[in-house]
Amino acid sequence: MNDPFYERFQKRWNEITDLPPQTVGPFTPYYKMITKRLKVMPFPILVLLSAGIIIALFVVFGSGITFITTVLQRGF
Amino acid sequence: MAEALILSVYSFMRSCIGIITHPYETYRRINGKGTLLELVPMAALLSLYFATNAMVKAPAFRPFVLTRHFIKTSVSVVVTALFISLLLWGVGRLLGGKGEYKRFFLGWAYTLIPTLAWFLFTSLLYVFIPPPRTTLPTGVALSVVFLTVSAVLFFWKLILAYLSLRFGLKLDLIRIFGILLISAPVIGLYSVGMYRLGIFRVPFL
Repeated sequence: MNDPFYERFQKRWNEITDLPPQTVGPFTPYYKMITKRLKVMPFPILVLLSAGIIIALFVVFGSGITFITTVLQRGF
Repeated sequence: MAEALILSVYSFMRSCIGIITHPYETYRRINGKGTLLELVPMAALLSLYFATNAMVKAPAFRPFVLTRHFIKTSVSVVVTALFISLLLWGVGRLLGGKGEYKRFFLGWAYTLIPTLAWFLFTSLLYVFIPPPRTTLPTGVALSVVFLTVSAVLFFWKLILAYLSLRFGLKLDLIRIFGILLISAPVIGLYSVGMYRLGIFRVPFL
């Protein structure tokens, strides 16, 4: 078959099926739910997650987090 | 040759935007269609950082000192990138991974973009707002912002590292965890070595 659309489809299909789908047993639906959001423009989720972690650190250590910043700022 | 180089610059820029907007799709393309020529613009970008780093960190603004600092950082980053990628690829192959080192390295090279972004961001911040941070509200606020940006870049790096192992070695999540678990002590020792040698405090991985 020389249909260019079919050839494109075939190429794309081969690309996608190159890797077997990832499964993690009973956690597969949760894995899919998380990775779906990370596959396209993950930054809004990453910003929310990071801000949450840092605010939690601030709640635990208080102004002690400035020490981590000082160490990291000298770390490059 | 010039045409190929221009194409590789275009492809590099496209991939750089892609790893921000569509990391999964972009890594599939890098792994399938990427060429090693894309490493040329990457090297140029890294050199720009090494030059900035030399100017910020060198003890004296003299050509010899700056050049020595530039060469020391450049060689260390190249050696580190090759060592870490070879280690991960080697362990990945032992755990049943399939794929050429060349393809894996190209994907791994793109994981240096978040690292580069963090080091550049920290270098510039070091110039404009040098440490130490105080415990005043302004110091705490800046710390929260700095740490949030650092964490975002760290998670982005993790996603790209995962994708480079997934596409470069065609492995599943469990095996990728296995690679990281086996490689982590070696990477830890290497980072301590770099710290002792006074090359990196935070390793440029």
